[in-house]
Amino acid sequence: MVSLVMISKGFSQEDSSFYGSFESNGIYYQENENDKYNEQFASNNYLNLNYIFKSDWSFEAQVESYSPLRLQGYSDSFEKTHLSTLNINYSKKGFGLTFGSIYEQFGSGLALRTWEDRQLGINNSIWGVRSTFENKNINLKLIGGWQKKGSQISVGKVIGLDSEITVFNSNEIYQNLMLGFSYVGRFENLAVPAIYPPVGYDFNDLTNLFSARIDYVKNDFYFGYEQVLKSEDGVTQFGLILNDFVKRGSAHTMNLGVAKSGFGFDFTFRRLENMGFFGDRFEQGELFGETTINYLPALTKQHDYLLTNINIYESQPYVSFPDPSLMKAGEIGFQVDLYYDIKKGSVFGGKYGSNLSLNFSSWYNLDGEYSYNPLDYKSDFLAFGQKYFSEQSIELRKKWSENFSNIFLFVNKFYNKRYIEEKLGEVNSQIIVVDNTVKLENKRSLRFELQHLFNKDDKKNWYGYGLEYNFNYNFSAYYNNIVNYQNIEDDKPNYYSFGASYTKNSSRFSLSYGKQRGGLLCYGGICRYVPEFKGLSFSINTSF
Amino acid sequence: MLKKIKFFSVVFMLHFCINAQENVPNIALKTISGSSLQSSEILNNDGFSIISFWATWCIPCINELDAINELYDSWNENHNIKVLAISTDDARSKKRVRPMISGKNWVFDVYLDTNQNFKRSLNISGIPHTIIAYGSKIIHRRIGYSPGEEKDLLKIISNYKQK
Repeated sequence: MVSLVMISKGFSQEDSSFYGSFESNGIYYQENENDKYNEQFASNNYLNLNYIFKSDWSFEAQVESYSPLRLQGYSDSFEKTHLSTLNINYSKKGFGLTFGSIYEQFGSGLALRTWEDRQLGINNSIWGVRSTFENKNINLKLIGGWQKKGSQISVGKVIGLDSEITVFNSNEIYQNLMLGFSYVGRFENLAVPAIYPPVGYDFNDLTNLFSARIDYVKNDFYFGYEQVLKSEDGVTQFGLILNDFVKRGSAHTMNLGVAKSGFGFDFTFRRLENMGFFGDRFEQGELFGETTINYLPALTKQHDYLLTNINIYESQPYVSFPDPSLMKAGEIGFQVDLYYDIKKGSVFGGKYGSNLSLNFSSWYNLDGEYSYNPLDYKSDFLAFGQKYFSEQSIELRKKWSENFSNIFLFVNKFYNKRYIEEKLGEVNSQIIVVDNTVKLENKRSLRFELQHLFNKDDKKNWYGYGLEYNFNYNFSAYYNNIVNYQNIEDDKPNYYSFGASYTKNSSRFSLSYGKQRGGLLCYGGICRYVPEFKGLSFSINTSF
Repeated sequence: MLKKIKFFSVVFMLHFCINAQENVPNIALKTISGSSLQSSEILNNDGFSIISFWATWCIPCINELDAINELYDSWNENHNIKVLAISTDDARSKKRVRPMISGKNWVFDVYLDTNQNFKRSLNISGIPHTIIAYGSKIIHRRIGYSPGEEKDLLKIISNYKQK
């Protein structure tokens, strides 16, 4: 410990700096269905240290400790105390070299994305080598290694090459055109399965992804298209891979929009077919899906309120044939966003103006011919099969005076539980939210929100409310509650939480108690993901 | 138990021993039109930069930037302050950034940190997170946002000028 003090003081000179951050999230589970967690304390802790020397060299190390238990909802590969991230970087005159843990993205991530998200328990960095070169017109990246899987690494090896070329970039006429090309390969030599007679796998140990993209902007108009093609690979079903079920994959995404002063419009189309791509093939279908190489998020509006976070769509990029009446090969659909600034002084804008935003999204299975015995499918390219999900929302932000403003939100949602969760049922729901903020004197403010979910199916109606009081810019307290009041069968379940937080510069401490659904919680001026639990929780976050 | 005590003791000692991150690191970012550039190119070299990390799905972030938008013109003219709004939206919501900022008529510069490398280099785990820099030197950082807090940013800058 004394050595660390000496080292930190010694290294913090004029041309170098030593800094870091610490985050700890702990929960005492008062009640839990899982006996392992019932009346137990669990915490996830992260200590990140960085050292920069002469602006060319940087070193990063991250130690993680899951003690005495990891929080619920995290893979069992997160355990004990271990060195999670370690890398050394050198960069000079456009050239860069990294050894160790690598965080990188090619294009929009359809072919490769490695990143860390602690709330979601994601850290799929590549342990290996990266070399980069960039100037005004060309950006090149070469990467290779194994993927992180908790405190271990994947069996499969990953190699990637990405290039981005700026064809023209003119500020005078505000027009630019960029082209990008990527290659990602995953080499995994699968052991012969322990069956009799022993049969090896017929497909290549090396799976290839080739990707091309174009991005064009001219004045207020923009357009982008990206396509990824995946070579033949065994499809993982129920933890098995059969030689008779080997398919190619593909991803297509197109985006176009108009962005003028006071008005914004965006349209996105995406089609995914058999796009599961993991460092270890058998991770597909597992609960935590670790070692995922690419990034295929749901393209829907992300919500911040408790009731709007019920029945959230999860993207369906994989092949899944759980039974003859439920066969999926991917997803196809679109999302539209529209933003409009209602001007100050207009009839609807009032003295301070208003902001209107609309969002529409719809996602479907790939239409085509499906067979359960033998397992096979042939999809049509631009055909829409069974609907998975659709949502339409309208949000109005209005400032009524210097001290009072509110947000009004209406959401209409269709959620196909059968196809998304592989359970039974379809859910049609409508949600209304009114979120009000009042500024008071002496740095104080009050926020209160009301929510209602209308639902004739599933668990029927909910109502919810929340209150947040900021005593000043550092200290705040809150209470929120959602009640499934028409769910008589489950005795009208409710989820509540009350807590407080203290913030000082880049440090924050929070404490709360309650029973919470999983989802995005925005209180105390911070947004973060919270897993479902009942008990006492704390969070410490500081940068130094 | 002993291991836990040791772990937290190390953290406690480091917090007091390590000098805070002094400079804004030089990390690749993208403009909203997709061009690549380095973070060092966007800082206000002879004045103050307010670097605000946000996302299209983060309500407190949008509340803060809406409030700053109303004050920005006078900040820029009278105090040589540049606001840099760094979007941490990834591929899921990145497409929403450009139409949103146009629809809201935000007048300050917005940049994209789609793999969150810039956010990571500054050891930021929660947003909104705001950093005030003079040139590339970090003079203040703050996590979270409360209504009205944007006015404190100007006070911090004024106090720094008087030193």
